[in-house]
Amino acid sequence: MSIPGLHLTRIGSDDFLLEATRSLNIRDQDRLLEGIASRLQQARASRLYYDLSEQALIDPVYYAWLDALARTIRAINVEMVCIHMQPTAAFALAQFIREKPAFETALDIFGWQKTGQ
Amino acid sequence: MAQQKKPETASSKLTELLKLQVGSISETIEKEGQTLFGGSNNLLGTDEINDFCIEFLQLLVALLESRDPHDDASPQFHALEMYFNNLSKQILVRGGRVEDLVRYIQFMQRTLIDALGNDKRSTVEDARSMLLFLSGLFNELILAVFQAYLDEKERTVYAQEAELRETATPITEIWDGVLTLPIIGTLDSSRTMLVMEALLNRIAKDHANAVVIDLTGVKNIDSQVSHHLIQMVRAVQLMGSDAIITGIRPEIARALISLNIDMSNVTTRASLSDGLKEAFRRMGIQVSHKAA
Repeated sequence: MSIPGLHLTRIGSDDFLLEATRSLNIRDQDRLLEGIASRLQQARASRLYYDLSEQALIDPVYYAWLDALARTIRAINVEMVCIHMQPTAAFALAQFIREKPAFETALDIFGWQKTGQ
Repeated sequence: MAQQKKPETASSKLTELLKLQVGSISETIEKEGQTLFGGSNNLLGTDEINDFCIEFLQLLVALLESRDPHDDASPQFHALEMYFNNLSKQILVRGGRVEDLVRYIQFMQRTLIDALGNDKRSTVEDARSMLLFLSGLFNELILAVFQAYLDEKERTVYAQEAELRETATPITEIWDGVLTLPIIGTLDSSRTMLVMEALLNRIAKDHANAVVIDLTGVKNIDSQVSHHLIQMVRAVQLMGSDAIITGIRPEIARALISLNIDMSNVTTRASLSDGLKEAFRRMGIQVSHKAA
């Protein structure tokens, strides 16, 4: 079952990679959250890598979407790691967040695995 | 109506005069151009000076033949102004002096006024109108030259500032995946933002896992800058790298506390060497003395 606006690919035994496409409609948040959580739960996933390489800017709306996704999947024991965050996106995001995000961050999948986290 | 006609008469007479004496006017201003900018001054070549004089006279005739030569918003006036603006930039970039340019423009004005004197048919009223027109026009051209001079100076200052910023914040990859950023001098908001931008781009480029920001050389810090510093650390962490701040002076530490800056998510170490050891430890790198 595919979820419109994103590709969810299994990488390794318990890990998934989420790549958002330009057509991702985060206003349809509830349906997206349910779809992703259901897919991860069925596959007994333990980690979701969210690829942000195509996201040049993260505004409060997009951050709210990332935050909601991280909290939702944490409820089913899946941790979310954002990878490939662009300098412009990190710059913008650092301006308005006040607390530690609900997700972890890493340069890439390899970087996350290397640190043994 | 009579008043409106006068400038037209003056400009058409001036045009006629220019066309009649174009050879001698061009020769005179070329000669002066050679003295000021050519030869050993080496600012403009002979061909460049000749082309410049011809183009100047063409543009001047175009202005005089325009619907209203007094209109400083006309395309012809703008073309003449831009021409002087570009010439000034060219001469200033090559090391010429603005004083020489202004003297040269005044010389051109004098040459044209002298040429007026050769025309015996002009009435006093015509000569007065032509003089007024020329004086207004050349004042504007001198202003264009000064504008170019100021632009050039401003550009130089910006370039020097940029160079200073770059040399004042050298981001170095001290080990594979470990960047160091020693900050020296006073941190202000604009500098902090520039450092942050450069650092984030470098992390992406080098795939750096850890960044050690050394503040040993920072003398003072204010509320806004300390917030920017925390934002910098947060942005580094968001990109997936570790940020370690080292060398915080006691007075800076006291300032951070009195400003209620939350340092709970920031890793700090006393010195740059401690910071590097921490970065190595996190990356699983061991540096040891060679066994004897």
